[in-house]
Amino acid sequence: MTDEEIKKKIYDIFEKEARVDRANLTEDAVLEDLNIESLDMVQILFGIEETFDVYVPQDDENFKLEKMSDVINGVKQLMAEKAES
Amino acid sequence: MNAMGPIDQHRVVITGIGSISSLGHNVPTIWEGLTTGQSGIEKISRANAEMLHVKIAAEVKDYDPADHFDEKQLPFYDRFTQFALIAAREAIQDSGIDFQKDDLFEETAAIVASGVGGWTTIDEAFTRMYETGQARAHPLTVPRLMISAAASQVTMNFGLKGPAFCVSSACSSGNHAMGEAYWMIRTGRARAAVTGGSEAAFSIIAQRAWESVRVLAKDKCRPFSKGRQGMVIGEGAGMVIMERLEDAIARGAKIYAEVAGYGLSSDAGDIVMPDQKGGEKAMRIALQSAALNPEDIDYINAHGTGTQMNDVTETAAIKGVFGNHAHALKISSTKSMHGHALGAASALEMIATLKAVETGIVPPTINYGEPDPKCDLDYVPNEAQEMTVNGAISNSLAFGGLNAVIALRKHA
Repeated sequence: MTDEEIKKKIYDIFEKEARVDRANLTEDAVLEDLNIESLDMVQILFGIEETFDVYVPQDDENFKLEKMSDVINGVKQLMAEKAES
Repeated sequence: MNAMGPIDQHRVVITGIGSISSLGHNVPTIWEGLTTGQSGIEKISRANAEMLHVKIAAEVKDYDPADHFDEKQLPFYDRFTQFALIAAREAIQDSGIDFQKDDLFEETAAIVASGVGGWTTIDEAFTRMYETGQARAHPLTVPRLMISAAASQVTMNFGLKGPAFCVSSACSSGNHAMGEAYWMIRTGRARAAVTGGSEAAFSIIAQRAWESVRVLAKDKCRPFSKGRQGMVIGEGAGMVIMERLEDAIARGAKIYAEVAGYGLSSDAGDIVMPDQKGGEKAMRIALQSAALNPEDIDYINAHGTGTQMNDVTETAAIKGVFGNHAHALKISSTKSMHGHALGAASALEMIATLKAVETGIVPPTINYGEPDPKCDLDYVPNEAQEMTVNGAISNSLAFGGLNAVIALRKHA
C-alpha cells in the first residue's frame, strides 16, 4: 500500500464513521477541533484496525493521537511493526 | 390480600443478605476483603489471557459448582444461575425467614436482575455449532441461557409463588430489581421478596467486545484517581431478603437497614456517556421518596466505575444534589475491589452498603493515588474508616443512561 493509499483510506474512515467534512481532513488537522464524538472515535479506531489489520494501543504514552499526521504515521508504524513480527 | 386492591403503604426492611464475588463465596469473607482493602482483580484464569489485550478481570476464584449443587441439578444452571442460587441460599438462611408460615411463599416476590443472563451457555452453544459444525443443540440450552433463568430457579428452589421476573438495565439492573421489589412490598403487592442480581458474562469474545469500547483498564481499577484508565469486568451475585417492617419486628428478625427510598431516571443522551442531570435526578428522587434531606446522608456507595467520564460526571452530580454537604460525605467505589459486575454490580454494592450501615465501617476506594482536581470529594482512600452511617445511598448510573439509586436508613 502506498502512502497516498493509506492516507486516503484513513480519510475515508473518518468521513464514514464520524461524518467529518472531507475538506477538514488535512495532515495538520487537530483531532479535537474536528468535534468527533467519543463513540464515533471508538468506531474510527475499529475501522482502522479492520482496514489495516492492526491493533491500536490504548492509553499508550508512545502512541498519542492528537493530529491527523499522528494517525497516519501511527498506522504506518503499526503496519511496519506487524510486518517485522 | 388482594394483589390488585388499594395501594397500601408499608415500611420495608432488609433482614438477610448473601453474596458471591471475586472477594469470596459468602458475605463474611467478602466483607473481610472489603474492609481490609483487598483486590479481587487478577490476571484472567478461566481463559487463555494471552489472546486478550486486557488480561485482567475480577473472577470468582477457587469455585467448583459441585461444592454447591448436585449433579442432577447442575445441567439446568448456567454459571449466572449458580451464583444467584448460592447468594439467595445464604440470604434466606441469614434472615431466618420461614416462607411456609402463613403461606408467606404465596406473597413473596422473586425479582432477580442480570445484564445478559446465560452468557456462558450461549458462548458454548455458538462455539459448538459454528466452530465444530455440530448442528444438534443441547436440549437444556434455552432454559439455561434465558435472562430470566435465575429468577425462575430461585422461585423453584425456594418454593416462591408470588410475583417473579427478571430485570435488565445494564449496570443498573440490580438496583432496578431491588427497587421494584421494595416498591411492591411498600405498596402491598407482596409481603416479602428475594431480590438482587447475578452476572457471569465473561468469555473471550465478551472481553474483546469490551476492549473495543475502550473503557477497560489494563492494570487496576482506580476510581476517582488522576490517571485512572477505566473499569475492570467482574462477576458474581448479591441477594437480599426484604420484608415489611412490622413482619420483621413481629418475628424478631435482625434488621440490616430500612429501604427508605428509590429513585429512577433516564439520561436520554448518549448510549455510553453519562449525563450529570440524569444522575442528579435519580439521587434527588431517591431522597424525596425516602423523606430524607441531603444532610441525612452520611455515605454514598458510588457507581464509580473508574472511567474518566463516569467519575467526573458522578462527582458533579453528587455536588449538584448535596451542595456543601457533598464535602462532608464519605463516598467510596467498591468496584475498585470487586470489579464491575455489570448486572450484579448494584447487588454487590447493596451488600457493601448494608454492611456499612450495620457495622459503622465504610469500605475504601482502593488504588487511590494522586487526586484528580475534578474529583475533589472524600472517597475514603485506600483504608476503611469507622463512621456511624444513619443514611446511605447506592448509585447505579448505567450504559444507555438508565439510572437507579436506592436510599437506606439505619433502623433504630
